Order: sequence, then C-alpha cells, then structure tokens
Amino acid sequence: MTEKTELAPKVALGHLFWWFMFANGGGLAALVLPVHILVQGVLGPLGIVPVVDRHYDTWISILGNPIVKLYLLVLIALPFFHFAHRLRYLLVDLGVPAAKRAPAQVLFYGGAVVVTLVAVWVLLTTAPISLG
Amino acid sequence: MSAEADSTAHVATRVYKPAMGAGWWTRKRHYFLYMVREFTALPMAAWLLWFLIEIQRSGSVRTFRPGTSTAFVIFSFICLLFALYHSITFLSLAGVIIHAKVLDRPVPPRAIVLTMFGLWFVASIVIGAVLIGFGR
Repeated sequence: MTEKTELAPKVALGHLFWWFMFANGGGLAALVLPVHILVQGVLGPLGIVPVVDRHYDTWISILGNPIVKLYLLVLIALPFFHFAHRLRYLLVDLGVPAAKRAPAQVLFYGGAVVVTLVAVWVLLTTAPISLG
Repeated sequence: MSAEADSTAHVATRVYKPAMGAGWWTRKRHYFLYMVREFTALPMAAWLLWFLIEIQRSGSVRTFRPGTSTAFVIFSFICLLFALYHSITFLSLAGVIIHAKVLDRPVPPRAIVLTMFGLWFVASIVIGAVLIGFGR
C-alpha cells in the first residue's frame, strides 16, 4: 500500500500581517499626513487659515463624531507600524546588529502596538461619542 | 565533478561578508538619500505623537492648548519637509510594488504611479477642505 502524503503549503500569516501593516501604514502616511501637518501645524498656527482644532468648542464637537474617532485612530496608529520597521532597519543600516534581534523587534513593533492602544484610550476618553 | 564531490564542495564553501562601516551611507549621494528616506519615519512619528497629545489635552477646556508658538511652527515645517519626501519616494515606488490588471491587461507602472499621485492630490484637497471648512 502506498500512500502519497502531501504537505499543505503553510501560509506565513505573521509575515503577511506585519507586511500589510508596514505597506498600508506607509501608504496612509504618504497620502494624508502632509496635508495634516501643513494645515494643523503651519497654516493654522500662523493664522493664515481657520482650522478646526484652533477653538475648543469646534474641536471637541468634531472629536465626538465616531467616524472622526475611527479616522484619527487609523491616521495615528497605522503609520507607527511602518515607522517601527523603518527605524529598526535604520539602526541596522547604521551598524547596530542588535536591531535585527528579537528584543529589538519586540521593542519597535511592541511600541507601535502601545501607541495604538494609547490612541484608542485617548480617543475613547477625550470627547464623548456624539452622532449629532 | 561527481554529485558527491559537488555536495562536499558546497558544504565547504564559506560566504564572504564584507564588513561595512557605520558611515557607508555618506559615500554616495544615492546612499545618503536612501538613509534620509528611512529617517523620515522619525519626524513623522514625532508629529503624530504631538497630535495625539493635543487630542488628549482637548479633554478639558483647562488643558486645551493648540500649538501656536514659533518653535512649534518650525518643528511642524521640518516634519512637513520629511513627510513630503516620504510621500514622493513612497508613491514613486507604487509602480514597482502594485501589479494590477484591467481587462486582463497589466496596467503600466507609470499609470499606477500617476494614479497614486492623483490620489494624493485629491486626498490632500478633501482633507484640507474639511480641516479648514470646519474651522472658524
């Protein structure tokens, strides 16, 4: 009796997840971050244009919107998975071999997870959710 | 050479790994720009952390303090330059990374890059309009 045993191809789910987060975090930062920095960090503070985050009442009412909360969570959290990878390899390229090892991976990608959790906490506790 | 001898020779082979100094990236402009691209993550992360802190301070009218100082504007302007560099280099690579087909024909890389830059332009206009339009 001959039975042919075939090994099913193993999907590298962990690899898939981190590359998904890296690529999408980089893409999101590329598409939307410059305009946020330009408007909220330069034009608004200089008084060139009115910006939504300059007045407390306006800003807090906008922050209460669940769609805005979700957008801000994605805007802040996702790029950090990209940054974590970039900064880890920046250290590798600068000749820091320890940046390749597991503790560095835990530090950098764990840092991105921590930022995500802090962002969730801040967005849920800062302004009450309002659909109005 | 027999297969056995070939296998033995393979085991005996040692890979030469030239040691690179920490300053290798200063030798050529192309290397330097590569490192700048990697470094862009740091100022962008710093700006987003500031933004998160600003959101947290918005929880109370007492702690609400939107950044207005000259130092903050300079900081944001520097972060903006790095963010723009990230956008240009990242979106320019889209034609290499993204492989799409329309009607069973591959989309040319140049068309993908142009689409991504168009998407960036539209996203910037829409988000800028929302940020300014809701302001007073």
